[in-house]
Amino acid sequence: MNIFIRAVEAASRLCGLVSMVLLAAAVIVVSEMVFVRYVLGHSTIWQTEFVIYSIIASTFIGAPYVLLLHGHVGVDLLPNALARGPARLLNIVASLIALVFCALVAWTSGHFWYEAFSRGWTTETVWKIPLWIPLLPLPLGMIMTCLQYVVQIVKPVEPTQPEALS
Amino acid sequence: MSPLEIGLYIFIALMALFASGMPIAFALGAVSVAALLFTEGTSSLDILGETFFAGLNSFTLVSIPMFILMGSAVASSPAGKDLYEALDRWLNRVPGGLVLSNLGACSIFAALSGSSPATCAAIGKMGIPEMRQRGYPPEIATGSIAAGGTLGILIPPSITMIVYGIATETSIGRLFIAGILPGLLLTGLFMLWSIYACWRQGLSLKSMADRYSWKQKFEVLPRVLPFLAIIAGILYVLYGGVATPSEAAGVGALFCLVLVVLIYRMFRAKPIISMFRDTAKESVMIMMIIAASELFAFTLSLTFVTQSIAEWISMLDVNRWVLMAMINAFLLVAGFFLPPVAVILMTAPILLPIILQAGFDPYWFAVILTINMEIGLITPPVGLNLYVINGIAPDIRLQTILRGSLPYVMCMVLAIVILCIFPGIVTWLPTALMGPAL
Repeated sequence: MNIFIRAVEAASRLCGLVSMVLLAAAVIVVSEMVFVRYVLGHSTIWQTEFVIYSIIASTFIGAPYVLLLHGHVGVDLLPNALARGPARLLNIVASLIALVFCALVAWTSGHFWYEAFSRGWTTETVWKIPLWIPLLPLPLGMIMTCLQYVVQIVKPVEPTQPEALS
Repeated sequence: MSPLEIGLYIFIALMALFASGMPIAFALGAVSVAALLFTEGTSSLDILGETFFAGLNSFTLVSIPMFILMGSAVASSPAGKDLYEALDRWLNRVPGGLVLSNLGACSIFAALSGSSPATCAAIGKMGIPEMRQRGYPPEIATGSIAAGGTLGILIPPSITMIVYGIATETSIGRLFIAGILPGLLLTGLFMLWSIYACWRQGLSLKSMADRYSWKQKFEVLPRVLPFLAIIAGILYVLYGGVATPSEAAGVGALFCLVLVVLIYRMFRAKPIISMFRDTAKESVMIMMIIAASELFAFTLSLTFVTQSIAEWISMLDVNRWVLMAMINAFLLVAGFFLPPVAVILMTAPILLPIILQAGFDPYWFAVILTINMEIGLITPPVGLNLYVINGIAPDIRLQTILRGSLPYVMCMVLAIVILCIFPGIVTWLPTALMGPAL
């Protein structure tokens, strides 16, 4: 079990790193696009789409990492007011509901991805890249989020500072 | 089951899931899935993945992570400290001295970061110890920073305004411009209260100020002016319609990052990685809520809840100002518990048709909504800024911070009243700069 927990947490950290790299790439490409469009006066082809898709990918792939950091904001008034036992129970129930939701998104988006992949759909723009590429991060990120939730449910709790709202 | 009943059950289920401490994004999603299953059957879940993806498939949304990066680049550097020092050196002869410098620094920093807790932390870390050292009572020192920090979501660029713009399909550039005068009005009210509070406590403000030479006044400027230039640049390109918010945000973020690295010589990888980690953490959290609220809004609309609530309200036929007061009370309560972004995304699709029908300006309402959200940031039970301040000055009790910030809450209520009487404070500048709204 310990190996499973450590493997999932390591994978979530890797996801976090990928998410940050995608974010940095988006910043650089937006700036390049502004330079090409406004300074050189050329038209741009692939940049807008690239930036949108890398931000989407950064979000979904970053989701398990942010879950690991307890960074997904929630209202923790009741859990904080409860004693440790009931609070843990509530946390498990809430995690299970969230897990089911993430699994459903993973399943339906995986299905959508498979359709795009097997039918060779492309994006409806000048760039025309295969649609399965931008779609892939959603099922991947959600599967990882599910695994991270499993870890959160089975892992013995250490008393941590609850994450504040932001 | 009637749409209003479905709406009621959705509301109850949502409250229950929120109370469990579940992340807001997943709670919104889970309730939507349950409502879809219940009303439309299993086939309706086919669109789940597609809708989740479509919720983020927009170039405008790109501006959110970019502005967050811009804010965390500035927040993780000593820029906040320099900004504060510069204002202190230039404003120290003004009556009210240090508190005013702090509030001024908050409003300028707000313009760089678009986030309230970041503003609070950056200015408070420097300002609170300094104010206490110079004899200001702890409630004024902490209350003013808690309140000043809330300006982050009103003064452009503001993440809250971007989210409102996306949820209501209004112009983000126009929303930004609309926030400027109310932001200054609120800063002014905060300052007036601070001067009065200090005077009442018998603090002779002038004698407490150090004198600075012209050399001292000018030597801080080179570290501060480039950031002010970036703010001015962003506002210029947005209201001039030169570039889109996402382009302005992307270039602004890159400039801020480069400036921070060059000015403060942060050449090691560690601070830069931590900057990106802070950004990823906040941006993923907000973007997940946005994706989930796309699904939520879709569900409400498919089950006719949105339309029925709007219809029901219009049938009530109440006076429009009574309606506005009710909406304000509702937003205020929601803001006590939920972060601004979540409140806006959940309520905008329901409230906007009601607002428009009652003849209110959507840009004016954006400002009113934002000030309501600001109040929620410094009131219990989940006033984020209070906890940020508590973290900076752990020896000051939460009650003291709360007592200090309460008068500033009154300033915000007063600002809402003023804006209701003189809506021109919001609408004049955008109209003067960009022409009448379409």
